[in-house]
Amino acid sequence: MFRGIMMRLSQAVPVLLIFSVMVFMLMHLLPGDPALAIAGPDASPEAVQKIREQLGLDRPLIVQLLEWFSHLAVGNFGESLTLKQSVISAVGERLPVTLSLSFVSLVVTLPIGIGLGVVAAYWRNSWIDAWVMVLALLGVSLPGFWVGILSVLYFSVQLGWFPPSGYVPLTEGGVGPWLASLIQPAVVLALFQIGFLARITRSAMLDVLDQDFIRTARAKGVDEWTTISKHAFRNTLIPVVTVLGITLSLLVGGSVVIEQVFALPGIGRLIVQGILNRDYPLVQGTMLLFGFAFVVINILVDIIYTIVDPRVRYG
Amino acid sequence: MVRWLGRAGLACALVAALAPPVAAQTKGGAITYAAAGGIGSLDPHVSGSIAELEVIHHIFEPLVTIDESYNARPMLAASIQVGDEARRFRFTLRRNLRFHNGDRLTSADVLASFQRYARVSTNAALLEDVAGYDVPDADTFVVRLKTSNAVFPEMLKSPTYPLAILPASQKDVAGTEAEPIGTGPFTLESWEKDNHLVLRRNEAYAADRSAAGPDGLAGRKTAYLDAVRYNFVAEPMARVTALQSGEADAVSNLPPDAIRRLGDRPDITVMRVFPFCQLMFATHPGNGATAKKLVRQAIRAAVSVDDIIAATGQPMRRNPSLTYPGSPYHTEEAAAPFYDRRNLAEARALLAESGYKGEKIVLQTNASFSYMRDAILVLAGQLSEAGFNTEVQMIDWLSQSANLRRGTGHWNITATGFCSQPLLGPQQWRTQIQATPYLRDRTGLDEAWRQFSASPGFAQRQSAWRQIETQLLDQAYLIKVADLAAVRAHTTRLHGMAPYFYQRFWNTWVQ
Repeated sequence: MFRGIMMRLSQAVPVLLIFSVMVFMLMHLLPGDPALAIAGPDASPEAVQKIREQLGLDRPLIVQLLEWFSHLAVGNFGESLTLKQSVISAVGERLPVTLSLSFVSLVVTLPIGIGLGVVAAYWRNSWIDAWVMVLALLGVSLPGFWVGILSVLYFSVQLGWFPPSGYVPLTEGGVGPWLASLIQPAVVLALFQIGFLARITRSAMLDVLDQDFIRTARAKGVDEWTTISKHAFRNTLIPVVTVLGITLSLLVGGSVVIEQVFALPGIGRLIVQGILNRDYPLVQGTMLLFGFAFVVINILVDIIYTIVDPRVRYG
Repeated sequence: MVRWLGRAGLACALVAALAPPVAAQTKGGAITYAAAGGIGSLDPHVSGSIAELEVIHHIFEPLVTIDESYNARPMLAASIQVGDEARRFRFTLRRNLRFHNGDRLTSADVLASFQRYARVSTNAALLEDVAGYDVPDADTFVVRLKTSNAVFPEMLKSPTYPLAILPASQKDVAGTEAEPIGTGPFTLESWEKDNHLVLRRNEAYAADRSAAGPDGLAGRKTAYLDAVRYNFVAEPMARVTALQSGEADAVSNLPPDAIRRLGDRPDITVMRVFPFCQLMFATHPGNGATAKKLVRQAIRAAVSVDDIIAATGQPMRRNPSLTYPGSPYHTEEAAAPFYDRRNLAEARALLAESGYKGEKIVLQTNASFSYMRDAILVLAGQLSEAGFNTEVQMIDWLSQSANLRRGTGHWNITATGFCSQPLLGPQQWRTQIQATPYLRDRTGLDEAWRQFSASPGFAQRQSAWRQIETQLLDQAYLIKVADLAAVRAHTTRLHGMAPYFYQRFWNTWVQ
């Protein structure tokens, strides 16, 4: 197992290397000048050029890329041009918000997404199945920012149930206010994942329900609950766990939009602000950390495979 | 010649009359303000963005600032004595001024601030004509200029890149790095960049007791609120809903459709703040076809102002002038002949006369400001109809703005929103116009600007400004579209809010 994890980690190195080059190139391909963003549009060309030189932006791209890599090699992700703090500390300050949002969203997603998938598969081709699939389709189709705005208008403005924006840290307000500030964006963020997970679970469940061992279990007189929960569901877990890994990645990625709509001071908003300000080190560093998180999530998924299916072995 | 720029009795009386009833004002309470922009720096000498300046003007104060009518008015100075044919300006400081750190403000701090400004400010050109400074005593500061400049105090009043007075200890601090220690009615309590900022009432604030009440950014300012929390909410709809749900007491930069949505709420007041900015098209007289005056004039002839206003959906007012109604320099008759021509036949005739052969006309705009984008799209349609070969380029706002300033970027027409320049008067336009390196035929302009600065009499200055404005519009360097409002809103529990270019929270209180 250990050898397998190490192999996975070593495979992640070239992935992250390619990813970091892509992030670097994409940021530098964006129109706009970070020196201009810092100096302001009224600054003289000389002042802008001076800032460009101070930041090393006047050097060839390849030199800047190699220098970034040399800093990364010693764990230095650079310093934000606009926030005047290290990328690691900027991310660290905002990480609890994004992790909290993703956690609450995952807690909402798992039971609802899997439950709907199982129900739809069990009553396949019935009106229940049709309705579940329509809801799932809506979940994956409706854009998060639009649902977010509608949700705020109804639940915050009309009903006054939840705050429309902002984040209350767990350490400041306790569980109640923390959850109140997160539940609405978390549910909106979960809608896509619920739809996605429900469709995958249904499909996997349908495959399993047609297997001989299910027919055998039923023939032996095992009750339906045990057949579904113990025999069928356990065998759908491999594709479901795979999707869970993707879901977790999508939750973190989806936070970019949702944090804007709900004014949550998380990593998603940090990236958006970084892109708007052409804050190269901030965006590059944060994206690289995102990429690393995705790699770790995938390794965790691989480990979970070995737990849910003893036949799976690595190394 | 000795002239005093002191407190104008009439203005004070007017301000006192307009001020909210004193009996209703109560100290205490905290409010939340949902502001659109994040704040990168609170260093007044290098801050030009409205989001930053809204906070800065609560913390810092300059010698001279703007009043309710955007004219110059002393703030930390008790009086300004002008001598030596407008080459010598003697500022006498108000007594008992203290910084937020408790230190007394003296002329040494003023000198250090001027020296720092000349070194780090984006607007350092403001002081390029300074021959030297004198500090005869702790309460007096003297500026000596190389050439006569009757409007020097008018230039000092600029609230953009304000020449705020900082403690002398900040003299050698780099640009953007100044500590937030000012003399203003609020102090900075906390600031989490890109999230929120909290201002707290400065209990030791030395208000200008010679004034009857607040007057623009000057006058007798009183902080009633205990604290103001600025929440930075980039998404416009999130700001609207924050106000609707009571999460915010005041909001800035509302989208036009929010006016309708919030308008029928009895507990919310929507303010359209005029004057705010002027929507304009600038042409590039150094690039391609627009190097020809006739082509630029043909572009101007094709512009239909009402179509553009309708397409943007923003609250706008028609105004042909580069100044606002209410400004002493404002005249519509000089600018009217160049405004809203909407004459395609004239445009085609001018094009034919110019020898235009279908060269590409590049119209540059950005996606950050929807009114600029919409205005350019409408203009592109109007120009195509007149026979122009147009191409619309959408780029980021900062690059577009820098292109306009420097002439870079291969554009022929660009849309922009001039805000502080028309607001503050011709002297502010001067920095914009004179710094534009690609303007041709500057002979008349430069001489008119020289006359404007050197003339001691208002009539002469007004005449010089008319000449400048006429030349800019006749050459179609600038094509005026309309005056644009800022849309803000606040709950009715918040009192004392008045429409003004900058959102102010002194002399506002909650009930």
